[in-house]
Amino acid sequence: MIVTTEETREVITGNHAVSHGARLARAQVISAYPITPQTQVVELLSSFCEDGSLDAKFIQVESEHSAMAALVGASSVGARCFTATSAHGLALMHEMLHWAAGARLPIVMANINRAMGAPWSVWTDQNDSLSQRDTGWMQIYCESNQEVLDTVIQAYKTAERVALPAMLVLDAFVLSHTAEPVEIPSQEAVDDFLPPYEPDLRLSTEDPHSFSGLATPDTYMEFRYGIQKSMERALEEFQRVDDEFYEAFGRRYGLIEQYRTDGAELLLVTSSTITSTARVVIDELRDSGRHVGLLKIRLFRPFPGELLRSLVANAKKLAVIDRNIGFGVGGIFAQEIRAALYNHIQIPVFGFVAGLGGRDVRPSLIREVIEYAETHEEPEDLIWKGVKL
Amino acid sequence: MSKKVSFSGFSDMPPVTVSQGSMSFNATGNWRYLRPVYSEKLAPCRNLCPAGTDVPKVLALIAEEKFEEAYHLIWKTNPLPAICGRVCYHPCESSCTRSGIDAGVSVQALERFVSEMCLDLQPDLPSVKNSGKTVAVVGSGPAGLSCAAFLARDGVNVTVFEAEERPGGMLRIGIPSYRLPRNILDRELEKIARLGVAFECSCKVGKDLTFASLRRNYDAVFVATGAHSSRIPPPLRDSRDLVMTGLDFLKATNLSTPPEIGKLVVVVGGGNTAMDAARTAVRLGAQPVVVYRRSREEMPAGDEEVREAEEEGVDFIFLASPTAVQRNSRGLEIEFQEMVLGPPDGSGRRRPIPVSGSSFTRQADTVILAIGEDADLSLLSTYEADPGVFVGGDAQTGSSTVPDAVAAGRQAALAILRYVGVPASESATLSKPANHFSLDALNPDYFAVFPRVEPRHLDVETRLSGFPEIIQTISSLEAVQEAQRCIPCGVCNQCDNCWLYCPEGAISRVNGAYSIDLNYCKGCGICVQECPRGVISLVQEES
Repeated sequence: MIVTTEETREVITGNHAVSHGARLARAQVISAYPITPQTQVVELLSSFCEDGSLDAKFIQVESEHSAMAALVGASSVGARCFTATSAHGLALMHEMLHWAAGARLPIVMANINRAMGAPWSVWTDQNDSLSQRDTGWMQIYCESNQEVLDTVIQAYKTAERVALPAMLVLDAFVLSHTAEPVEIPSQEAVDDFLPPYEPDLRLSTEDPHSFSGLATPDTYMEFRYGIQKSMERALEEFQRVDDEFYEAFGRRYGLIEQYRTDGAELLLVTSSTITSTARVVIDELRDSGRHVGLLKIRLFRPFPGELLRSLVANAKKLAVIDRNIGFGVGGIFAQEIRAALYNHIQIPVFGFVAGLGGRDVRPSLIREVIEYAETHEEPEDLIWKGVKL
Repeated sequence: MSKKVSFSGFSDMPPVTVSQGSMSFNATGNWRYLRPVYSEKLAPCRNLCPAGTDVPKVLALIAEEKFEEAYHLIWKTNPLPAICGRVCYHPCESSCTRSGIDAGVSVQALERFVSEMCLDLQPDLPSVKNSGKTVAVVGSGPAGLSCAAFLARDGVNVTVFEAEERPGGMLRIGIPSYRLPRNILDRELEKIARLGVAFECSCKVGKDLTFASLRRNYDAVFVATGAHSSRIPPPLRDSRDLVMTGLDFLKATNLSTPPEIGKLVVVVGGGNTAMDAARTAVRLGAQPVVVYRRSREEMPAGDEEVREAEEEGVDFIFLASPTAVQRNSRGLEIEFQEMVLGPPDGSGRRRPIPVSGSSFTRQADTVILAIGEDADLSLLSTYEADPGVFVGGDAQTGSSTVPDAVAAGRQAALAILRYVGVPASESATLSKPANHFSLDALNPDYFAVFPRVEPRHLDVETRLSGFPEIIQTISSLEAVQEAQRCIPCGVCNQCDNCWLYCPEGAISRVNGAYSIDLNYCKGCGICVQECPRGVISLVQEES
């Protein structure tokens, strides 16, 4: 199969949307290890490499740790690098995730959200990626296959501008294995949008330098400061890239999307595919005159705190649905939101945990969440929804 | 060396720790106590090829579709490739490293393919002027032909004397045309004649011409008269006129009119002559049975020969030896004694031991004895000390194989050139690497299983319709594919792995080869490990 370089519209899975995104971004080095539910991402990429649709070096490795290690090397010489993984694979990469960010390498990765074992699971929840939140990787949570494809391209542009790696995240099976119509942009349009990667520093045998060597206490902290500064800059850059993407392709997603929030007293906050279900419920409740709206958090790292505060300024309550659990505390998005608000705005935040290990989050559950928050005055940090007691 | 740099703070620091000066001062080579060296190894196929063919290089040329170059390279050590591509016992294939992965490369089919592609092509030879020297070659079998070809290549005037009407020796007399079609033999002979070799046929030295006159008229003589004297088992020597030798039977069939052999044919022996005789008998309408005194495992005949004979309906009786043959009212009655296998003998095979009182008889129309042939060198009785007389091939070794004869002929030619004082043009590139390829050096991870190309065989019915050639020539597509299966063992094919894997970037590509910058090679040995085919070796640094 030689894929067309023209713009097309095809019905493809989230995994294949990832592959097409990496192809259109002209990834030059791909290194990955297969894991359910990510396998089709690299399967299609390897066939792109084989049939010439993508001129990339595909490195077979024996583990995810090696996959990321290989990309650290390849990115250091200035290659645009891509990988994809999930759950235990991401956990195995952990050490190298720190290294990629610390070495300021704009590697892009797709992580298919899959629940961590034990017990063994292959279905979706966000604990795998959220466990990596302090590694210095940007994280973008996607809701649709179109968003997945577009985010790969956006991620490269942002990552290369701020010299930090980026991870786009999509739900196992709900997106990874579900086919939806997706606009696949033309190669020419993507080339116009995304220039080749040209790092300021690169590893080269022509002019050999040592990289990421020992930093004494005298200098280490400044390098960390630099990462934080770049993360802060990434907030602006990501917004700018989203705007540029809109100019080029007519689609945008924002850092946090507002959905029917005008005059809303209660704001439901979601991420990933629960958002799509929530849209239906919000439509229904809005149409029956209830004052509820929806915020979809797309960018998790860097966390758009200031933007969030501006968007919730007029609301009376927030209800956050977390498809994850920070053991000993509660939902992780809820914690992040409370932390972002605490010094600035006093607003009750109800934290709901639901849908772990791929359990369905149905409209009825979302209605219950809204109902609960509407009818309770005192916020609660952790409310389990849908758990069988 | 690097210089000390001070930073006042974040604003003047690079984004990551990076050496401010070049790291090229860091000559990691001074850590080294082992040094990688590129040293090609002798592949098992090339090592075992009697004719000395540089098999890996030939296969590499075929893989690149350079068929003519491959032909010229084969010809440098073997002037009979179209023949050896059919009748060689191909130790190259049985020793092939790929047999440990999937199956040995079909080297013989490739040699045959190339020589058939180049049937009209003369070998690419250096131009040398006539030396004025003359050499007589007695016998036009593979040893004589090979010697003549290599002498002619270097400007020697060669005359080949052949007792039969047409040249070829055992190739024409002994090998049935279903294994070696006569047009192929003739084409190879024509090429040798075109090098300036003269053939005097129907001229038996010792009968039509004395050896003494030959020796007088030529600067040197090469005797390659083969092994034509068939052995007769001692108990049958008195009944010599009741039996036929395998060689006489084959010669009659191959050169003139097949003899009347009837239906029931008993062939005694287990070598290739026995197989050729039995299979020829099948084609003449007989029902032959081969009787061999040891078991199938000890048979000196090639495995394929035996298998094909079985396919064609030849019966076998093992562990029996003839003790008498006599005429009776229905034809011939041959008596056998049963044998058991004892401990190994000098040949390494288990010795047959008679079982007393265990005889049986068998009725036959024809009894063919094919238990081996010896050389007859009575011609030379007075020339043993003459340095101008050379002997080679079966005449020297006793009954052996075509490629061994080709090799003997080439060796004789080199010796004769030296004797008559003509420089040999054989190029130094023919010298073989000193070190043998070791299986330990192979990195099998690099070699995927890929099925071997098997040349097609005619079905049994078509085979038995006459003497059509059984094995077919492979196509050029198959040839290229098959040649690409070659590893090649111990031979660099510029796969770039060493260059790619060197963690120091110390290896560079220079004019189709690699060069190691020893200032930076720290002797880690990764290139040795990642060389799929064992070309690179580690040697200890001297100090």
